Amino acid sequence: MFALLIQDPVNINGPDRSPQQAVDAYGQLTKLASTFSHVDGLFYFTYAVCIFFFVLIVGVLLFSVVKYRRKTWDQLPASNTTHNTPLEVVWTVIPLIIVMIMFAWGYMGARDMTVVPLEASRNTYKASAKQWNWTFHYPNHPVASYNEVWLEVGKPVQFLLESSDVLHAFYLPAMRVKRDVIPGRYQSVWFTPTTVGEYHLFCAEYCGKDHSKMYAKVHVVDTATFNAPQRPWDQWEDSTPELAAKSGANLYSQLCIACHSVNGTPGVGPSWKGLFIKNADGTYTGRQREVIDNTDGGKRKTITVDDAYIIESVHLPEAKKVAEEPYVRNAMTAFPDLDERKVRGLIEYMKTLADTK
Amino acid sequence: MSHDGHHSVVIPAPGPEFVPHTVAHHFDTPVQEFQSMKLGFWLFLATEILLFGGLFAAYFYFHESYPETFRLGGHQLDWKLGALNTSVLLLSSWTMAMGVRSSQTSQKQKTLFFCGLTVLGAVIFMVIKFFEYRAKNEHGLIVFSELFHPYDLTTNSLPWFKDYDGVMAGVPHPHLFFAIYLTMTAIHGLHVVIGAGLILWIMKGTAKGRFHAGYYLPVDLVGLYWHLVDLIWIFLFPLLYLVP
Amino acid sequence: MTTNVPVIDSHAAPVAGRKNFLNCSSGFLSWAGTLDHKRIGIMYLVGVSLAFLAGGLFALLVRLHLWKPDGMLFDNVQYNQIFTLHGAFMVFIFVIPAIPGSLGNMVLPLMLGAKDVALPRLNLLSFYLWLAGALMATLAIVLGGFDTGWTFYAPYSLYTDQAVVTIGLAVFVLGFSSIFTGLNFIVTVHKLRAPGLTWFRMPLFVWAIYATAILQVLATPVLGITVLLVAFERLYHIGIFDPRLGGDPVLFEHFFWFYSHPAVYIMVLPAFGIVSELVSVHSRKPLFGYKLIAFSSLAIAIISFLVWGHHMFTSGQSTYALFAFSFLTFFVAIPTAIKEFSWVATIWKGSIALNAPMLYTLAFLIIFAIGGLTGVILGALNVDIHLHDTYFVVAHFHYVMMGSIALAFFAGLHHWWPKMFGVMYNETLAKIACGIIFVGFNTTFIPQFIMGSRGMPRRYATYVPDYMGFHQASTIGAMVLGAGVALMVFYLVASLFQGKKAMQNQWGGVTLDWLTPTPPPLENFDEAPVVTTEVYDYSTLDYKAMQTPVA
Repeated sequence: MFALLIQDPVNINGPDRSPQQAVDAYGQLTKLASTFSHVDGLFYFTYAVCIFFFVLIVGVLLFSVVKYRRKTWDQLPASNTTHNTPLEVVWTVIPLIIVMIMFAWGYMGARDMTVVPLEASRNTYKASAKQWNWTFHYPNHPVASYNEVWLEVGKPVQFLLESSDVLHAFYLPAMRVKRDVIPGRYQSVWFTPTTVGEYHLFCAEYCGKDHSKMYAKVHVVDTATFNAPQRPWDQWEDSTPELAAKSGANLYSQLCIACHSVNGTPGVGPSWKGLFIKNADGTYTGRQREVIDNTDGGKRKTITVDDAYIIESVHLPEAKKVAEEPYVRNAMTAFPDLDERKVRGLIEYMKTLADTK
Repeated sequence: MSHDGHHSVVIPAPGPEFVPHTVAHHFDTPVQEFQSMKLGFWLFLATEILLFGGLFAAYFYFHESYPETFRLGGHQLDWKLGALNTSVLLLSSWTMAMGVRSSQTSQKQKTLFFCGLTVLGAVIFMVIKFFEYRAKNEHGLIVFSELFHPYDLTTNSLPWFKDYDGVMAGVPHPHLFFAIYLTMTAIHGLHVVIGAGLILWIMKGTAKGRFHAGYYLPVDLVGLYWHLVDLIWIFLFPLLYLVP
Repeated sequence: MTTNVPVIDSHAAPVAGRKNFLNCSSGFLSWAGTLDHKRIGIMYLVGVSLAFLAGGLFALLVRLHLWKPDGMLFDNVQYNQIFTLHGAFMVFIFVIPAIPGSLGNMVLPLMLGAKDVALPRLNLLSFYLWLAGALMATLAIVLGGFDTGWTFYAPYSLYTDQAVVTIGLAVFVLGFSSIFTGLNFIVTVHKLRAPGLTWFRMPLFVWAIYATAILQVLATPVLGITVLLVAFERLYHIGIFDPRLGGDPVLFEHFFWFYSHPAVYIMVLPAFGIVSELVSVHSRKPLFGYKLIAFSSLAIAIISFLVWGHHMFTSGQSTYALFAFSFLTFFVAIPTAIKEFSWVATIWKGSIALNAPMLYTLAFLIIFAIGGLTGVILGALNVDIHLHDTYFVVAHFHYVMMGSIALAFFAGLHHWWPKMFGVMYNETLAKIACGIIFVGFNTTFIPQFIMGSRGMPRRYATYVPDYMGFHQASTIGAMVLGAGVALMVFYLVASLFQGKKAMQNQWGGVTLDWLTPTPPPLENFDEAPVVTTEVYDYSTLDYKAMQTPVA
């Protein structure tokens, strides 16, 4: 759904925005955490050239202004020179040479960043962007993670980028990589993280209302942590209903909050409040609901909300549509990657929003 | 506007049925006025070509992306009607040129006759265009009554593209050809209508005797505009009707 | 430049009671229906100034909101609308028409020794198209606003539920205003030059406006068809930009930047023209490398059509495209650098008057040096991948568009103000305002360079706390800048009511615009001028005999 109708008072939480990113020795760039040092090299080279020319231009300018300032109205210029061919050739040719160096340096760097080495392509993650969050799939692990991603230090990695709605851009300042994410085609970036730490991942292409909140955190961890039996991104606590509800609430704030409110406010999709009814004995009953059943020729039916219905609605939202305006018109993005454990976490969270009888 | 102390240049009328032309106050000579207007108009025509250039670029881009769609789409257009329209426009370009020539030689009745024929050409063109659009409508390739209905998110389909006969089945994004066809021909059609309006305005001025051998600039410019309208069609016809 | 006409007593006070274009007729209709290029220029001046103040107000709101990481004033949708309004108003309604529409209209025919532009009715039509476009943009705000950014990138602009069609049509109309202005100026330069005014005797402002006009005529139609196609996409879903329908959003970017990169030069070339002119007059020295500057304007105009891809280095172009676009981008740097060097060389050993127009010009030269040089940083491919769509880019183009173009516009305004209205503003206040604007501007945008290179993306309603200090410094700078502009508006408006009478030739210029009475009569010259000397030949004026101007 692309319309931006809702004004949800709740802030999107997602991962916290700390820690502050370290800054390099000259204070202009975040500390480099990948192997793309040619970006920093050329940046500071160009910077130095710019400062040189700036000082030259402004120096001559200010010197002239002070020295040749007009003191009386009829003062004539100290010189009427309008040409100096050697000078003009010099200030055409020297900048030309300098910019050609910059061009070659920059082009070679960009080619390095564009051509994905074999090692990185064997370690391919998938990053799916949609308004306004990121979903990450790992090369050799079935569990996905949302708005947080874990990488192994020192191992080249490729991200395959896809968008299911509008333009986004995958921007990791500390790694110096950026790539537009374009609906309808695959894009990719690669880099080798060199330093263990936590890094900002921004969306750098304007994508609508919560563009500025489309934030993900990149964890670069050492090999042992990365390969631990309990993978760092696979921490899903659901040993008790309370823990499951807490995990579910966290997931809600990452994926669902843009369209579904939890306080009864209508949004792009129906609110989650009161999907269940809490009985006096502490058990839960699903609410009765009118739906259009597209798996049964679009018949109008009354169903009872239950786990199966919610799991189906997450994986295949078009199957049973709530028969109310505007929900019947609005399409929800499907989340086929959410496994049953995760959906159960969401269900436990929904139950905490139940109406009491 | 008053301009004290300046004498305007006046081009005399060639006969009693004509009106003399006063050169605009900021020009020194009739030649300067003529050349300025002509240069300005050529620049305007260049912007028109660039405007269509954007559409042509889109056409080529998608023809390259979905050649099957364009080939099949082209077959749904009636090349005979297209060819007929091409002849009508070519002929009207000739009548327009004759109209301009008549104006340059102060032949009032002949100018009116040829300009009238040109407008007739424009009308025939638009009538044929109407029948072509109606055929597209009947086959559900462009359903005009639903043109502005919103995109249907639940079925992921366009309300105005129904393809009742299934002639476009099996090619990717079949609506694209017809969307581009409609956009290009509709904008071109708008130019035909504007051009016909300008010619009518020219005929009114001619009837009043404002245009003659001494001053035929507006007739000349409208003539150029009409040739441009014709020229654009000469490109549209093979691209849309005779898709390679 | 002299003429065979008995030139006005160059530096004398204006003759009292003489009819000029301001007082030759009065009443609303005498302005609304005027065909006089000077009156049309003044109407443009009023219009674009109001647009600038509106755009500036939006900018201040943006800066205030960003005082805190979570934002201060608006929710995200409102913030997105306001930065979009700022961009759209500043680009389409202020910067593009500002210099050609106001100063170009006012000065170009004067400099050519013509009675008017070649097509006065078209000129008035341009103004009304501008007005219609500006009103439509305002209507779009009333209809709920628009939040696409001034770039209207698809597919977001196709999906958002806001008034995109209205603003798109507004841009289309504004585009035709710009096209007709450019067309008019090309014809004027070709056909209405005074006898003896050869191409290489034309003042550089004329050259710059001429180069601009070529771009206006050749680039703007592509913008026109692009926004029209966006409107059609929204109305009946053509599908060419919509990935759901087989379209390609990147095609939109190509279309858009094919216009909008040349548009950068539509904006900046007139500013170059003003600076060339002012540097010469206020140093009382012929321009250094006149022909090189004239040709570099044309070179920039031509190359600017070939570099649009550098706005899309991160969109996944082939490495061949990256190679070509980056190479050509660096090539634009050369003519631009030549201009800057030539201006400095003109000032060198000149007779430098430190009056208000010259101070604004000097501020331009310093700020444009930064704006231009940071453009070189962005031209490098691998560095651009890091900096693209960050505040570094924002700061860079503000150094060019606000710091350079708006300052050149102010400089030109101060330079030709006495010519236009026959009065002088308070020069002391003008110098103070120039200083405040200079300080405020740099305080606003230097922090944006640093946070940009540290990764702060643009168009963010909220931000990570890392960047808070820079944002706050920037906001303070913006307030100072706003105060400077407010002071400038104050003394300029005040001068209309109680300004001292300006001299006939306030600055001692030798181009034709200064060799006609101040303010000029309705048809510009009492007798048609004939040019017999080279351009910027200051030896033709006897400064000793002239009365020292009172500021």
